[in-house]
Amino acid sequence: MAIPVLVADDSKLSRRSVIRSLPPELEYDISEATNGKEAIALLAQQTFELILLDLTMPEVDGVGVLEYLSAQEIKTNVIVISADFQPEKQRIVLSLGAKRFIRKPLDKEELAMTVFELGYL
Amino acid sequence: MSIVLPLDEEQRDALQELLNISMGQAANSLAQLIETKIDISIPKITSVTPTQLYTLLFETQNAFYTRQSFLGDVHGEVMSVLSQSGLNEVASLMEYDAPLSKEDIQEIILELSNILAGACLAGLSEQLELSTNLNMPTLFSPQKANFDELQWQHSLVMELQFAIAISSFSMRVVFCLDDESLTRMKATLDELLA
Repeated sequence: MAIPVLVADDSKLSRRSVIRSLPPELEYDISEATNGKEAIALLAQQTFELILLDLTMPEVDGVGVLEYLSAQEIKTNVIVISADFQPEKQRIVLSLGAKRFIRKPLDKEELAMTVFELGYL
Repeated sequence: MSIVLPLDEEQRDALQELLNISMGQAANSLAQLIETKIDISIPKITSVTPTQLYTLLFETQNAFYTRQSFLGDVHGEVMSVLSQSGLNEVASLMEYDAPLSKEDIQEIILELSNILAGACLAGLSEQLELSTNLNMPTLFSPQKANFDELQWQHSLVMELQFAIAISSFSMRVVFCLDDESLTRMKATLDELLA
């Protein structure tokens, strides 16, 4: 069965890169959000099993999305994929419930490995 | 008011994302040096005339200014605008003793410009597989600079903002490219998007 996945990133190039980098062994039902506000609107309507989340986005950033998930007690696997990889930022997002942190530019194999580590295989 | 951006939507999106990645690398370099979190903005890409560039640089009140040219596959100039506010706290994080001398302040400004602008340009060049060399920054005063002498009528401006979380310090980095370099960059972006 296809895994419902939300890809939230303000860059089309980046969303395309993330979607292309998902391991082909699995099937996905992908939704896209171009900022945190859109991501929250989608999260309010439907359930996602996996969220691939950028941090630096307009309207509401990735930390705002994580805070929303935490406040709503929505349990879902979040992989943060961000260029802002300062140790303090990584600590914040992991404390807000993100399962993993991956640096941009995205390494296809690292994403695949992370998805498998979260139990999707 | 900016003039029409000489990039299509996909090129602008790609350039903004590459700049975002470069900014992350630059912020991490500085964060490691001063062991403090750096906030980064979403990069802003516009096209301006020299007069508009002058106005853009003056958006920050009470600031220090540096400029450094870069050469290579693309060439242009990077201008950094550093707020005077919060500079003492940053100096302390960089282990300078108070009170700061005029030489200390100059050294800090040039060092910050070099770290952030240098890392941004290096990151962007690496991702686009372009070769660039950045010259050392020099302090300048926009009031005394004649922007009409710039070699371009319009320039692509890529504006990035860094802020140090525990102080009021902020810094803007503005990249200016001439027409020839813009053409080269667009071709490289198109290859990336293909």
